[in-house]
Amino acid sequence: MNSAGAKSSSTSSIIKHESGHFNFHKFFNPDASWDKDQLGDVLHWIRQIVAIVCGLLWGSIPLVGGIWIILYLLISSGIIYGYYAIILKVDEEDFGGHGPLLQEGLFASVTLFLLAWTLVYSLGHF
Amino acid sequence: MSPQFLATFKYSDSLTIVATSFLTAVVCEAISWLLIYRRTSYKSLKTAIDKASKKLETMKTDNMVSKKNKAKKIDRVETTLKESTRDLSLFKFKSGTVVALVLFIVFGLMNSLYEGRVVAKLPFVPFKIVQKMSHRGLRGDDYTDCSMAFLYFLCSISIRTNLQKFLGFSPPRGAAGDGLFTVPDASKTN
Repeated sequence: MNSAGAKSSSTSSIIKHESGHFNFHKFFNPDASWDKDQLGDVLHWIRQIVAIVCGLLWGSIPLVGGIWIILYLLISSGIIYGYYAIILKVDEEDFGGHGPLLQEGLFASVTLFLLAWTLVYSLGHF
Repeated sequence: MSPQFLATFKYSDSLTIVATSFLTAVVCEAISWLLIYRRTSYKSLKTAIDKASKKLETMKTDNMVSKKNKAKKIDRVETTLKESTRDLSLFKFKSGTVVALVLFIVFGLMNSLYEGRVVAKLPFVPFKIVQKMSHRGLRGDDYTDCSMAFLYFLCSISIRTNLQKFLGFSPPRGAAGDGLFTVPDASKTN
C-alpha cells in the first residue's frame, strides 16, 4: 500500500539512485532508460523553469507585445525538443509521438510565463 | 495591514492576489489530502491505474502474443483501467466539491475587494476573447489594463498545477482524459 506514496510523480524519486545519491548523470545520458512518467515529469519541470526565466527576463527588459509570447513558445518548445530528441535521444514513438511530449506541462507553463512577465513588468516599470 | 514596501508599487494589489492565490492553493491541497490522498483506498486505486496503464502500454508494443489473444487481453486491461479511473473520479468528486466551494468563496471575496480596479499592467494586448476576462469590470479602452479575474486565473492555473505536481497529487497519467465522460469507442459498440 505504501508503495503508492513512494511512487509519487515527484521528480525527486527519479533522480535518486538506490544508494540515495542524486543521479544527475541520467539527465544527460542518452543510454539511460526512461518511462513515460519519469520523462513527463522532467519535461514538465524544464518547461516551468524556462517559463519563469523567460517571464522574469521579458518583464525586466521590458519586452512588450504579443510577439514575445510566440518567441517564448518557440524557445520553450525548442528546448524541450532539443532535450528529448538530441540530448536523451529517446524514440518519441515509445511515448506516443512528439505531441504528448511537447504538450507536457505546456498550459501550466504558459500561464506561469504570463504571470511572471506581467508581475515583473507591472511592479518594475510603473 | 500591508507591509510598508508594498506601498511603493503602483500595482501592489497584484502581489496580494498572487499571495492569496498561493495560500488558497495550499488550503485546497490540504483539504484534498485530508479527504482523499491520505486514504489507503485512494493509494491502492492509484497504484492499480499505474500498473494497468503500464501493462497496457507494454501489451500494445509487444508482438510476442498471437493477435486474437492479444486483443482480448488488451480489452480486459482496458476495461479494468476504465473502471479504476471511474472509481478514482468518484473518489475525487467529494473533495472536488469542497475545493470548488473554497475557490468560489475566495473568488467572490476578491471580486468584491478589487472590483473595477486595475491590479496589473499587461505587457501585451490580449485577444478579443481573452479581453472579456482581462478587462472585466474595468473602465476605459486601454486593454493592457488587467483585472483581478485574469490575474487570479493565471495564478490559480499555474500555482495549483505545479503545487499538485510537486506534492505528487497529480492524477496518474494513465487516467488522463478517461474521466466520467469518456467517448465510447465506436468499434466496440457494434
